[in-house]
Amino acid sequence: MPSHELDNFIICKKCHTLHKKVPLAHDTKAVCRYCDTVIYRNHRDLFNTTLALAITALILLIVSFSFTILTINIKGVNQSLNFASMFIVMFEHHYYFVGIMLGFLVMLFPLIILSSTILLLILMKYRKYPYLVKRLLILIAKLIPWSMIDIFFISILVAMVKLFDFTQIDVDVGFISFIAVLLLDFMIIKRISFNELWINYEEIYRINA
Amino acid sequence: MKRSTESTPNRYPTEKLVRCPICEAVNYDTQSIIRCRRCKELIYKHKQISYHKTLAFLITAAILYIPANVYPILITRQLGTLQENTILGGIIALWEAGSYPVALIILLASVFVPILKFLFISYLLITSKYNMKSSKVDQHKLFYITEAIGSWSMVDVFVVAILSVLIHFSSIQIIPGTGATAFALMVFFTMLSALSFDIRLIKH
Repeated sequence: MPSHELDNFIICKKCHTLHKKVPLAHDTKAVCRYCDTVIYRNHRDLFNTTLALAITALILLIVSFSFTILTINIKGVNQSLNFASMFIVMFEHHYYFVGIMLGFLVMLFPLIILSSTILLLILMKYRKYPYLVKRLLILIAKLIPWSMIDIFFISILVAMVKLFDFTQIDVDVGFISFIAVLLLDFMIIKRISFNELWINYEEIYRINA
Repeated sequence: MKRSTESTPNRYPTEKLVRCPICEAVNYDTQSIIRCRRCKELIYKHKQISYHKTLAFLITAAILYIPANVYPILITRQLGTLQENTILGGIIALWEAGSYPVALIILLASVFVPILKFLFISYLLITSKYNMKSSKVDQHKLFYITEAIGSWSMVDVFVVAILSVLIHFSSIQIIPGTGATAFALMVFFTMLSALSFDIRLIKH
């Protein structure tokens, strides 16, 4: 079989069963026939909606980075939590490795993923810089397993429950926008498929070349 | 929802095709180095190299799991006295205080998830090494689960970081302990171990 015919196939990410692709109607999805995992979807307007979602997510992510997430009050003394303070306190206690890991996993990687997604979609929309687009696609795929904002959110909730008994906890702007970022991030991850992006990449830049 | 796939013709056996982990393209399995035909990235190196890499990262993580549990992960300094908490100690304290759901979350994330990952990856390595008969589909699913639960163990480290920012008063202070670094390193190495695992080890 010549290698371009391989494009007609797709392998399920969960159980690695080979499937032959079939054309889908708009807004439907194809699932693996063994494990029911979604293999690919057909979105009506993948680029524009994803771009809008990604821009919103990036703005909200910057908001949650710059504002306070939680404030606690013990006997009249306030103490608040924001992303930067966590990083600084870890360095103050000389836990450099944990501090650096926090900085990368919770702040830097999500920021890079979102901004690269935006850049990538804009470049693909205007059919410019194929090489850069390709590098961005590879970068995002490699970084996604290392972005841990969802885990960080669970950690905030666990910490809140731990503190609940002996302090008063006030939720701030950072917390609300962080929830919004998570929801948007979930929607972006759910709708975007690398397979679709790569197919689009090949189509767009082949026409251009 | 639409069921994809007509049944795949027998003349293209799945064993000879691999999925690119980066762009999801289907590639021929050449049994050695594979450069993806679509994204041109080096996606698979020699199987034996990735086998040993996975094993080395797994052993490193398993060794780090010991200090992560023995050393305190969280130190509470209250009016001059220090109280040290290991992971298990923290879980027991939470359980006794009546916060059962949180105790369960931490037990799951910090104790069960790492152990499950060690077990899953060693099982996959052993079955591939000794060519044991077991369902390929189940092994693929096991590996998928291993990758998916990988980052959950970080919950405890993040909680310690959050608490040490919030409880930072003159009378009471929470300081991260040595266990936190060991634990973070352990998670890091288990993730590297899962990422360096070659999916073709399952197939053959």
